[in-house]
Amino acid sequence: MKIQTYLSLLKRPVALLLLYILLSVLLMQTGDNSALRGIRWTMLQVVEWIDDVQAGFYLTETVMKENETLKAENFDLRMTRQQMRELYHENQRLKEMLDFSERASLKYLLARVVGSGPETGIRTFILNVGSDDGVGENMAVVNPDGLVGKIKAVTPGQSQVQTLLDPNFFVSARLEASRVVGDVGGGGDFELALNHIPTNIPVEPGELVLTSGMSRIYHPGLKIGVVTEIKEDTRDLFQEILIRPSVNFRSVEEVFVVLTPLPEVAGK
Amino acid sequence: MNKEYGWFVVIFIAVLFIQSTVVDFLISAWKPDLVLITLVIFAARYGRGPGATAGFLVGIISDVMSGPGTLIGLGALAKTITGYFAGSWARIAQEPSQFIFILFFSGLVHDVLYFSISTLGIEIEWWVLLQWHMFGSLLFTTIVGLLVYLLVGRRVVEKE
Repeated sequence: MKIQTYLSLLKRPVALLLLYILLSVLLMQTGDNSALRGIRWTMLQVVEWIDDVQAGFYLTETVMKENETLKAENFDLRMTRQQMRELYHENQRLKEMLDFSERASLKYLLARVVGSGPETGIRTFILNVGSDDGVGENMAVVNPDGLVGKIKAVTPGQSQVQTLLDPNFFVSARLEASRVVGDVGGGGDFELALNHIPTNIPVEPGELVLTSGMSRIYHPGLKIGVVTEIKEDTRDLFQEILIRPSVNFRSVEEVFVVLTPLPEVAGK
Repeated sequence: MNKEYGWFVVIFIAVLFIQSTVVDFLISAWKPDLVLITLVIFAARYGRGPGATAGFLVGIISDVMSGPGTLIGLGALAKTITGYFAGSWARIAQEPSQFIFILFFSGLVHDVLYFSISTLGIEIEWWVLLQWHMFGSLLFTTIVGLLVYLLVGRRVVEKE
């Protein structure tokens, strides 16, 4: 039989099938030779490389998603930390106020500052308590640092405080060491004036100024401020004394309204 | 005709790479056999002889691209017979249901041959193998094959 005859046989599908089966079986018998191992190794390297590229894409996508999640979590945590700090500070303030309230013999109502007046400076505060809570006009308003002001106007749910810094605010005051009485008022720019202290009275910077008790509104001994500057002129009858309020009006958040009336007022 | 074969060579190479990379990567347990689907479409168009030839060549390349434990020639043998088998039914593969029938039984022939030879001398639970591996993958292959057939395969299989 000639070669052409063999080749023409391969045109028949069955012959092709048998040839391929034969070749496959032969490959299975002798397939593990070095040449095939080399080809196989090369092919595997290519497939592995494609796998790596693909895994790289997947990894990048995963990392990006993870990054977004972490950013959101980070933001949440920062917000939570900020809230916790706020709560911590609030807790500290309230503890101080509770301590102050327990130590004092007067009856206090805790109030939160919810606003301030439209005027410049800190002349008035709005409190979240009103006549429904027992608040009335001309009640003293304090915090653990000292005198804040007095109630100027009241509504059922809110009240307005006139602070020490209002230029129209005046209170009878006493120097702690000499016990001499003057009056504090005319405040502004976080500084107050202690008036009507005669020039012959020795006053030192750092001396405490307290409420005198000669008032229908303020109980005696409430801290008003500390002497910072004395301008003494022998030609004048009175000294010019500047005092720094003991209350930091920039950071007031909670205050107490003094509910206990003064004896003479109670008598009325 | 030669140009058509050229296109099929490109398609087979692409499918082989997709099979060994994307499919293996995306699906872990049961995998659709894209090479088998392409082979059946090819055989359904050109018949037994070209089907067997394509099966043999694709099988060898698959064997080479498989891991070191794979017996070279085994995939070639299974795919040769599968290509021939699918090509024998070429005349009736004109409707989706007929194509699915051919694809399913071609896949069954391929898997039975492949697993029978590769597990020679090993005691295995055939029922477990059929149930958990062969039928799962075969079902997957059949569903994907139907989609491929409806999208492009029908135009390829139909004779001008």
